[in-house]
Amino acid sequence: MRLAPLDELATRHAVAFRFRPIGDRVLITNQEGRWLLLTAEEFDAYTRDRVPADSPLHARLAGANFLADHYDLRAAVEMVRARKRFVHHGPNLHMAVVTLRCNETCVYCHASRADMDAVHTDMTREVAEQTVDFIFKTTSPFVTIEFQGGEPLVNFPVVQHLIEYALDKNRAAGKQLEFTMVSNLAMMDDAKLAYLLSRKVQLCTSIDGPAPLHDKQRVLPMASSYDHAARWIKRINDAYAAAGLDPTLYHVEALLTTTRATLPQWKELVDTYVALGCRALFLRPLDPFGFAARTGPKLEYPRREYLEFYRRAVDYMIELHGRGTEILERYAAIFLTKILSGVDPNFLDVRWPAGAGLGALAYGYDGRIFTCDEGRMLDAMGDDAFAVGHVATSKYRDVVGHETVRAVTIASNLDATPDCVDCTYQPYCGVPPSHSYKTQGTIFGRMRESALCEVYKGIQDYLFEKLATGDAATRATLERWTTHRPREHFLQDAAGSPAPGTKPVAPRP
Amino acid sequence: MASLPSIPGELASADVASGVVRLTVREELYPLDAVFAAAFTFIKDCWVVVDRADAAHWAIALTPKAAGASAELLEQWVGGFANELLACAYRHRLAKDHRATVEAVTAAALAGALGPPSLDELEDFDFSNEAFEDPLGIAMSWEDKYGKKAKAGDAAPAGSTDDDDGGAP
Repeated sequence: MRLAPLDELATRHAVAFRFRPIGDRVLITNQEGRWLLLTAEEFDAYTRDRVPADSPLHARLAGANFLADHYDLRAAVEMVRARKRFVHHGPNLHMAVVTLRCNETCVYCHASRADMDAVHTDMTREVAEQTVDFIFKTTSPFVTIEFQGGEPLVNFPVVQHLIEYALDKNRAAGKQLEFTMVSNLAMMDDAKLAYLLSRKVQLCTSIDGPAPLHDKQRVLPMASSYDHAARWIKRINDAYAAAGLDPTLYHVEALLTTTRATLPQWKELVDTYVALGCRALFLRPLDPFGFAARTGPKLEYPRREYLEFYRRAVDYMIELHGRGTEILERYAAIFLTKILSGVDPNFLDVRWPAGAGLGALAYGYDGRIFTCDEGRMLDAMGDDAFAVGHVATSKYRDVVGHETVRAVTIASNLDATPDCVDCTYQPYCGVPPSHSYKTQGTIFGRMRESALCEVYKGIQDYLFEKLATGDAATRATLERWTTHRPREHFLQDAAGSPAPGTKPVAPRP
Repeated sequence: MASLPSIPGELASADVASGVVRLTVREELYPLDAVFAAAFTFIKDCWVVVDRADAAHWAIALTPKAAGASAELLEQWVGGFANELLACAYRHRLAKDHRATVEAVTAAALAGALGPPSLDELEDFDFSNEAFEDPLGIAMSWEDKYGKKAKAGDAAPAGSTDDDDGGAP
């Protein structure tokens, strides 16, 4: 990319656009997130206002809203509104930590788990009810209650009580209610699974790669944590299929935490996920919370090495997809949805203003409320900066309007963040202030030094490089990854019974 | 301080021994916001100081965080800074010239996000507040203050006095 001398650069003919070199092209984006990839000559002509009015380039620029004379203000407003639709509602994701106890010991545990005899870290039925009462005060018509831990199956009676209480409450509230559970599945049994399936609880687990790597990183005393997870993934997927649910849509979701040991195993990792029947792989880098803060020196890696790993793994996934194997990378899907479809999937860790407090709240086992799960993890490390209330005593508006939520909202405004304000990826990005706080000591992150910014920029560079190739098959794969098909089976019927037309799901023996 | 081979000495110099690059740029061409933005892109690798050199110039000093920067690397930084500064100055102009449009789009897109007050908020409202004193009748309606006098026998409207002339203005 080469810019003309400053006195030859024109501005009045254009709009407020941002630019960045992508290979031998220049990517330009505008306020509402439309984009074009220009050749060096095209970029030079555009920035000098030397684009002939009857040229194809002029038509492209006008069509994507890059020319002042053809500016479609209404279209820009609509697209910005679509991208920021999440600010019109209160929190929709509510993470309930029903216990800190966990049967597995993970080398990077972000959740600050407790030993199995730490029963004082179990949520009580009373706190569960107070948590539900608080959750239903949200102004959002959508409510997802996510069970986390520790390992939520350890405190299963309270999970059941919370679900029944929420279903009962929703008969009057009429929210679009969903339940999800993040579990290592090792304590799953037939009775628990039958209950979870009957209540349409979406299940999510962790798979760190092939069995040896998974078992080494997620230690289950006297057993293979991988074998447990793999066995139950199959059982659950079979149960969905037996109920007539589309297996491409209904299957156990699995998450990965990338450590140094994962990096050379990118191919084995993808193959493992495909073999388990997973359709998505989330290549999450290591977070700085929980045990990872201490074990980091052994697990961490330079982010440029992570990005190399990412490119290899996603290249392989694109190749597999081209051969008919449905597998996608979750970060790519999130960014591509923003880039290609113009809407925001509302993934809380990649949006601005941040999801903390405005889009999500986390509830500790003791009823304390945090802006986000990471805030709860920091609290477990002795820092309560993100604590914003208690389910027994706080009013909804006091929590959502808490000074910490306001500070986090301001800090995550990319229009007021150095570097981000000029960044070409600003319409698609967002870094959680809790991450900046933990890694840099301030919620007002210095993005040029942020490992997460490096990851997000690197992923978006990769995706635009793929789009710049113009390869039709690759483009078709990437567009396919943005397809959002709602999983309506998991939506609770407001009347509290299974929605009409849905077949009850039962596990196979 | 030594000049760098490919860069005019009045614009940039380098102290290779202590690994410091110093640049001066014209204030007339480069607004401070653009200088800050360009300098910010170096904070990962350098300690950065921005200062005023004189009435017409900004001074920027880049000191590498890691020891042992070569002359080639320092020269690369000067070139990198110059390019970044040009890009930032252009972005600054674009933002300045189109600020009104950007603000109009943002305001229109996000209008109504706050929503109406909730029951929680109404619950906190203090309904017991007494009406404030208004000896001059500033808060009175025109009819109350200047309207026709009540007929004899009618109750006097609140706030009316015998001094009211009752005539239309």
